[in-house]
Amino acid sequence: SSSSSSNFDLKTYWGTLMTEINQKLDEAIPVKYPAGIYESMRYSVLAQGAKRAPPVMCVAACELFGGDRLAAFPTACALEMVHAASLIHDDLPCMDDDPVRRGKPSNHTVYGSDIAILAGDALFPLAFQHIVSHTPPDLVPRATILRVIAEIARTVGSTGMAAGQFVDLEGGPFPPSFVQEKKFGAMAECSAVCGGLLGGATDHELETLRRYGRAVGMLYQVVDDDKKTDGAIQMAQELKNKAKKELQLFDDDDDKYSEELVVPLHTFVDYAAHRHFLLPL
Amino acid sequence: RSSSSSSSSSFDFMSYIITKAESVNKALDSSVPLREPLKIHEAMRYSLLAGGKRVRPVLCIAACELVGGDESVAMPAACAVEMIHTMSLIHDDLPCMDNDDLRRGKPTNHKVYGDDVAVLAGDALLSLAFEHLASATSSEVSPVRVVRAVGELAKAIGTEGLVAGQVVDISSEGLDLNDVGLDHLEFIHLHKTAALLEASAVLGAIVGGGSDDEIERLRKFARCIGLLFQVVDDILDVTKSSQELGKTAGKDLIADKLTYPKIMGLEKSREFAEKLNREARDQLLGFDSDKVAPLLALANYIANRQN
Repeated sequence: SSSSSSNFDLKTYWGTLMTEINQKLDEAIPVKYPAGIYESMRYSVLAQGAKRAPPVMCVAACELFGGDRLAAFPTACALEMVHAASLIHDDLPCMDDDPVRRGKPSNHTVYGSDIAILAGDALFPLAFQHIVSHTPPDLVPRATILRVIAEIARTVGSTGMAAGQFVDLEGGPFPPSFVQEKKFGAMAECSAVCGGLLGGATDHELETLRRYGRAVGMLYQVVDDDKKTDGAIQMAQELKNKAKKELQLFDDDDDKYSEELVVPLHTFVDYAAHRHFLLPL
Repeated sequence: RSSSSSSSSSFDFMSYIITKAESVNKALDSSVPLREPLKIHEAMRYSLLAGGKRVRPVLCIAACELVGGDESVAMPAACAVEMIHTMSLIHDDLPCMDNDDLRRGKPTNHKVYGDDVAVLAGDALLSLAFEHLASATSSEVSPVRVVRAVGELAKAIGTEGLVAGQVVDISSEGLDLNDVGLDHLEFIHLHKTAALLEASAVLGAIVGGGSDDEIERLRKFARCIGLLFQVVDDILDVTKSSQELGKTAGKDLIADKLTYPKIMGLEKSREFAEKLNREARDQLLGFDSDKVAPLLALANYIANRQN
């Protein structure tokens, strides 16, 4: 099926979804009293240059199993909210101390550390609230919504992204891949799994998506990293192969999975590995 | 008021709250097992298991039992509200926020584990609360109810809850009394204190199988006792000595904090407290008179506490 991927235009696919996600995120955070905290949240969530990779992967995974993308949009937005929340906290002076994010001053540089902490603290619950109040009940069973919430909560929590950030800062008896897996692989893994859940995937399919998503997230980070050592290049190759291998489950059964719906998942791997186009930003 | 307090006097509130707090402590202990990375889980446990009166979880369980649910049905929700309470204390104590070194007589989380770990431990407790509520609540409770509980909890934390209260509180320091009024003060307390108490009662009522009417009455009850808690706190700060309080008296005056006695005077503050207690109790009319005893006693406990 990889031959047909030449007919698939990832740039248009991604760009269309980005526009829709951006609009929904804009509506999800209206400015109310006290205005400062809403502005701080909007500053990071609606920042120019956000690629919206987690939402796009979530929608694509949902559609692979015949799910309606309307079922996935609220969770897709929620993924961006928790992603923004963890980036805001990671940038704080007591953490990575990054004054700049995506070429703009980071949240605490503009609003102060106190508001930056609170903006993160507000975005996490807003994500869950958004899923609960916006997911169409006729498209998604409530039991599935609970699994999505638990999946996202576990991903950002003490054994997921928080663990990755902790080990990144403080070290410990962990292999180097621990930080990559938890800090960078976790978000993509969660995005793919949530999409699968919302599309009605089986447990076996979900585990495949989990390994696929983790590999794509780690691959993106390895390639993004400046250090082009032999080790890094070899690791990128292995991650790419791993992600592609997981997709064989969906390639091999043409009756069950429509080929055109598997293609986006292939192109995410190629994009993470090669960045062969620039997104409209 | 004397007639109503006599009916609850036969109820032993202190042994009730101690028994409930013990089961809450047990549940909290097993909800955060010590795993890798150890330090972040140690930091979570340090603050979560540091004691405290467990008012929120007990309120959650009492509300659940009032509408006919079992303690075990409410326990994941009860743990979740305590995790949220704890995470908000950890973040509020940070140097860039209220900069507190001590909490419940012990060094604050960031003093022991560092600011970075304190931020992450708070974030981790926040997400654990949702994971726990969503996946540990008994399968006897319909997913429709658990989803509703998740929405209520989320609302109580963010810009319509705790965070809004803290933001307005931070921006109020040093403001002139002539510039801000009662509405401003009430906004802070309704969000900083009452919102999570409200969620505690509402979550208990939802998972316990309460009707919409029961849920809304318990919501109002908890809002009233939330405000009541704050009014009483402000009164105690100006009327009691540090020794009686077990903390620095007159702290609010020195810190130039807005308080009810400052805005409406001591006598009017006392009247307001009585009014809130009455309003809270009114919400419980119509429930089974034996079953309301714990909540009536909780309202009285908050109204009459001396420290």
